[in-house]
Amino acid sequence: MAVKEDRYKLVRYSPWLLHFNTGACNGCDIEVLAAITPLYDPERFGIKLAPSVRHGDILIVTGAVTKKAAERLKRLYEQMPCPKFVVAVGACAISGGVFAKSYSVVGGVDKVIPVDVYIPGCPPRPEAILDGIVKLLKMIEEGRAVSKCEHKG
Amino acid sequence: MSTKAEVLSKLAIRTEVVKPKRIVFVIRPEDLRKVFEELIKTFGPESFYLSTIVGVDLPAENKMRLDYYVHFIPEGETVVIRTFIDRSNPVIDSIIDIVPGALAGECETFDLLGIVFRGNPYLKRGFFVPVDLVQKGIHPLRKDSGV
Repeated sequence: MAVKEDRYKLVRYSPWLLHFNTGACNGCDIEVLAAITPLYDPERFGIKLAPSVRHGDILIVTGAVTKKAAERLKRLYEQMPCPKFVVAVGACAISGGVFAKSYSVVGGVDKVIPVDVYIPGCPPRPEAILDGIVKLLKMIEEGRAVSKCEHKG
Repeated sequence: MSTKAEVLSKLAIRTEVVKPKRIVFVIRPEDLRKVFEELIKTFGPESFYLSTIVGVDLPAENKMRLDYYVHFIPEGETVVIRTFIDRSNPVIDSIIDIVPGALAGECETFDLLGIVFRGNPYLKRGFFVPVDLVQKGIHPLRKDSGV
C-alpha cells in the first residue's frame, strides 16, 4: 500500500547525495560530477553532496559491482541512516553492462543492495541523472518509493 | 654525463623501438637489479620513477614477459625494460629494496600471473583477485586460467 510517510519529509526537501564508484570506467562519474555543477544547478531541487555516508539520504552508485567492491558497497549502505534510497547510474550499475560475465564482477547494484531508480546510458547525460533523482523525489512524495530499511524510524 | 641509451645498452641484449621516445631494452632476467642499480648510480634516485610493471603470459613460447615502464622526469621520456622468464618456473629478483615504488606493480603481477618476486616479503594472494579465485588457486591473467 502506498503510504505517505512524514519521516521522508527531509529527504524530499533536501536530499543529500553520496556518490560511490564500484568499478566504473569513470565515464559515469564524470557525468555525475557534471550534474552537480552550477551549470545544471541541482540546488534548485535542494540536492547537495553529503560529506559522509552517515549523513547521506541517496546513494548514487556507478559502475559494475566487482566482488571486492560488493562488500564495501554493502557496508556503506548499512552505515546510511534511514530512510535511504539508491540510484544506479549507467548500464554497468544496472546489470553489469559489458563486464557482466567477468570473473571479478558480481553484476548490477541490485544483486547487493535494493535499488530504487535505474538511470540507463553509457554514460547517461547529466540531465538524465538529475531527472532520475527528481523522479525519485516525486516517487517519495507520492508514497511510491518506500525505503527498504531493516530498522524502521 | 652518459645518456640513458648508453647506460642501458651496455646491459641490453637488443633494443627495439615501439614509437619515438619509447625505446624497449631487452635484458636478461638476472641483470634486472643491475640495470636499476646502474640507473640510480648514474642519474640519481629522483630522476626517474617506475610507472608500472606489466606481465604477459606467452604459453606458445613457454615464457612470461615482464615490462618495466621507467619514466624519466626531466626529459618526459619513457623507456621499457623488457625481460623474459621461464613460464614453468616464473621467478625473478625483486627490486623493492632499491626502487620502493615497485611494490604495487610486483604485488599485482604476483596476484594476477603468479610471478614470484624473490625478496619481496609483501607478496600475497587476494591483492586484487577475488577470494573465490584465490581459494581455487587461479591466476586470472594466465591464458589457461579458464576465467
